[in-house]
Amino acid sequence: MSQPAPSPFVAALLDAPLPASGIGWLDAARRENLEAFAAAGLPDTRVETWKYTALRALAQRRFAAGDAQADARDVDLSAFALPGTDGPELVFVNGAFRADLSRLRDLPAGLSLQPLSLSLRQDAEPLRFALAGRYREAGDAFARLNAALAADGVVLRVAAGARIAQPVRLLFIGAPAEADLAWHARNVVELGEGAELALVEQHASSGEQGHLGTLVGDIVLREGAKLRHAVLQDAAEGGTLVRRNSLHLAARAQAAVHVLELGGALVRHELQAELGGDGSRLDMRGVFALRGRQHVDTQLAIRHQALGTASDSVWRGVADQRARGVFRGAIVVAAGADGSDASLANKNLLLSGQAEIDTKPELEIYADEVKAAHGATVGQLDERSLFYLRSRGIPQVQARSMLTSAFCRSVFDDLPDETLREHLFAMLSRRLPA
Amino acid sequence: MTSERSDNSVIALRDNAEVAEALGRRYEAGFVTDIETTSLPPGLSEDIVRQLSALKGEPEWMTEWRLKAYRHWLTMPAPDWAKLRLDPIDYQAISYYAAPKAGPKSLDEVDPKLLETYEKLGVPLHERAKLAGVAVDAVFDSVSVGTTFRKELAEAGVIFCSMSEAIREHGDLVRQYLGSVVPAGDNYFAALNSAVFSDGSFVFVPSGVRCPMELSTYFRINAINTGQFERTLIVCEDDAYVSYLEGCTAPMRDENQLHAAVVELVALERAQIKYSTVQNWYPGDENGVGGIYNFVTKRGDCRGDDSKISWTQVETGSAITWKYPSCVLRGDRSVGEFHSVALTHHRQQADTGTKMIHIGKGTKSKIVSKGISAGRSSNSYRGLVKVEKGADGARNYTQCDSLLIGKRCGAHTFPYMEVKNPSAIVEHEATTSKISDDQMFYCRSRGIGEEDAVSMIVDGFCKQVFRELPMEFAVEAKKLLEVSLEGAVG
Repeated sequence: MSQPAPSPFVAALLDAPLPASGIGWLDAARRENLEAFAAAGLPDTRVETWKYTALRALAQRRFAAGDAQADARDVDLSAFALPGTDGPELVFVNGAFRADLSRLRDLPAGLSLQPLSLSLRQDAEPLRFALAGRYREAGDAFARLNAALAADGVVLRVAAGARIAQPVRLLFIGAPAEADLAWHARNVVELGEGAELALVEQHASSGEQGHLGTLVGDIVLREGAKLRHAVLQDAAEGGTLVRRNSLHLAARAQAAVHVLELGGALVRHELQAELGGDGSRLDMRGVFALRGRQHVDTQLAIRHQALGTASDSVWRGVADQRARGVFRGAIVVAAGADGSDASLANKNLLLSGQAEIDTKPELEIYADEVKAAHGATVGQLDERSLFYLRSRGIPQVQARSMLTSAFCRSVFDDLPDETLREHLFAMLSRRLPA
Repeated sequence: MTSERSDNSVIALRDNAEVAEALGRRYEAGFVTDIETTSLPPGLSEDIVRQLSALKGEPEWMTEWRLKAYRHWLTMPAPDWAKLRLDPIDYQAISYYAAPKAGPKSLDEVDPKLLETYEKLGVPLHERAKLAGVAVDAVFDSVSVGTTFRKELAEAGVIFCSMSEAIREHGDLVRQYLGSVVPAGDNYFAALNSAVFSDGSFVFVPSGVRCPMELSTYFRINAINTGQFERTLIVCEDDAYVSYLEGCTAPMRDENQLHAAVVELVALERAQIKYSTVQNWYPGDENGVGGIYNFVTKRGDCRGDDSKISWTQVETGSAITWKYPSCVLRGDRSVGEFHSVALTHHRQQADTGTKMIHIGKGTKSKIVSKGISAGRSSNSYRGLVKVEKGADGARNYTQCDSLLIGKRCGAHTFPYMEVKNPSAIVEHEATTSKISDDQMFYCRSRGIGEEDAVSMIVDGFCKQVFRELPMEFAVEAKKLLEVSLEGAVG
């Protein structure tokens, strides 16, 4: 893909200096990733994984590099309070770590949590594996960009055998600035053998802005580790957010991921999971509820690499007004991953004649001792259910709202944390058409 | 109906040395007919296209049409999105025209050797065909060698002839419809076909006529170093009905031969077209040497309200299959169906599926795809269901099941769903499994041999599709599957 001249988007980002770390391997990786990004630019819709998400408009925009005044931005944290999460937390405003807003004192035994910038200064070597990577796929533009430009993020480690009772919260807040800017965050999460952790990743906005945020997370679960990962995305209405979380599960590790996707103008969410150890298990639940001209693209890629691995994914989408929801759920069962059990279901409600849903569940199976199934539907509210409610005196509008809400809520029924669940429901209700 | 689910315990039959010995399928259609052919020298250029057109005595508009397609083809890149591994094809090494030298005037003059060939293949080309009640157009290498039952069909008003003849004798009809469903520049292989297609079948069923018998075409590639590029066009006017069958074979050769066909169906108001294919091109040997590259564009256009197009395919042959019979559901309440069994063994690769484009109101489509992979083969379903804004009340149901036989094969599913109408309902379901131990145990405990048991279970797995085939074809399809799966268990 040779482009005659870099788009304004690429040009603006290339103007900015690379974050300098003084660490040879890291600076080399940053430079190479930036070169790769500059050479390929943004993917067009001929790249299969970007088929339904056109970046033409984005390519014409310019974003300032980072926020120099991030420390001074006035942010009211109470607006993003999550009941039940009063434990350790790390807060970023426009991509910059805010020590004053974070809660890092008195961490429970076995938990180590600090901003990436600090980790790099103290001891960068353990991060080498996560940060020295190169991204080679055609669709990796934002991962390259992130690898090149992310100067901060989260480094979270849980010691082997430690069970962290309180959920850890990572809060990314977009705050209005003088211009639309681009921020990049890099998270490295590692759970030692048999460790347990509940992690809440929250994206929020303290006012109208059209920033671009990219986030790349590497999450490693050692043998027998258990992670509960909840993602609440309620970014600014005009915001662009591109996230990629890569999960690596060793033997008997278990991860449960719950995602609620509400905000943003253009949102891309990639969740890549590798079930690399025997008997590892992954459960994913997600909902996107869209309106206006939102475009939200969810890409799940699950790879079964080992014996007796299991994955179960359920995703539901609602698109109203002129919104467009895109879903891809790809399951690969590699040769030799016998005894794998993979299932994926994606159901969507299309509420308006201007909205669109594009869904693509995929199965790639190279082993025969497997159970693999997927399903996807696009439809509307069940007329009979509507009739049932209306015949009991519930007005049309309310009946529709009840059914839509029930359609989404059922996905989170198995969320063990009740307060979090209720909070998700409340956020969802505010969002759905009344 | 057999269960398609499997469980996880270890199957007892695998890696059984005796059965492994039985590996290697018989390809019964792999003989070569020694017959004199006229062919164009290998290579592709504007000159070749002109020569080809001249050889066939085509009118000027046809030559121009071909040249336009050829020029467009030159500008196109070869597609690489399918899940296929193939070496680049040398289009200059292929001869684009091969015809039996003794040009047939009528069926009685057809070279007896040719008739013998078709007899070996079980095509009831000659008068015996009457018993079978199937009218046959047979295409040998590049040209049509004879069409049976012309008189009977003519009485009903049905035109069934070779494409070359149609261009000469029904030029207006051909000109009106050719390329109207699959435009010359539609895709790489369709463009190539438009430039060099040599023959094929033409069917025209006028208003209100129900074609009195099943129509059938048998394709055979015989000559070495040739490609086959046939073009089929079927038009059903208002209220007309036709059922059309297509079968294909090729001799066993070490090099890959190219087959790039285009099939266009047009259904006007309330018309129905049923198109069935049993594809048994030479699949290559167990090491993946030789075999046909089958790159086919098939598309049906439900132009009229309440029309219906139904594709049924049984794909057992070809080294590589790249084929997506599609329906454009333009007319209100029109119906599209796709029933497919695709079997791959040894090193065969198949990337096949369908497209259902819902444009009209109340349109319906149904997709049933059964993939069976054995040996070291790769079998992908790739499908698109698209509901456009105006397609109120559109309905689609898709079911894709894959059956894996053996440890080294792959089965993949890539369904695309694009929905722009809130009153549409689109559903997709897919499962992948192997033949379950329970099923095998049940059969074995009743004294049924391993291979028979597998074939029974596979037959049950495919039943939903076989039901859609005309009877003679269903029997053939079942037999083909058995032969193709020989040595797969173990």
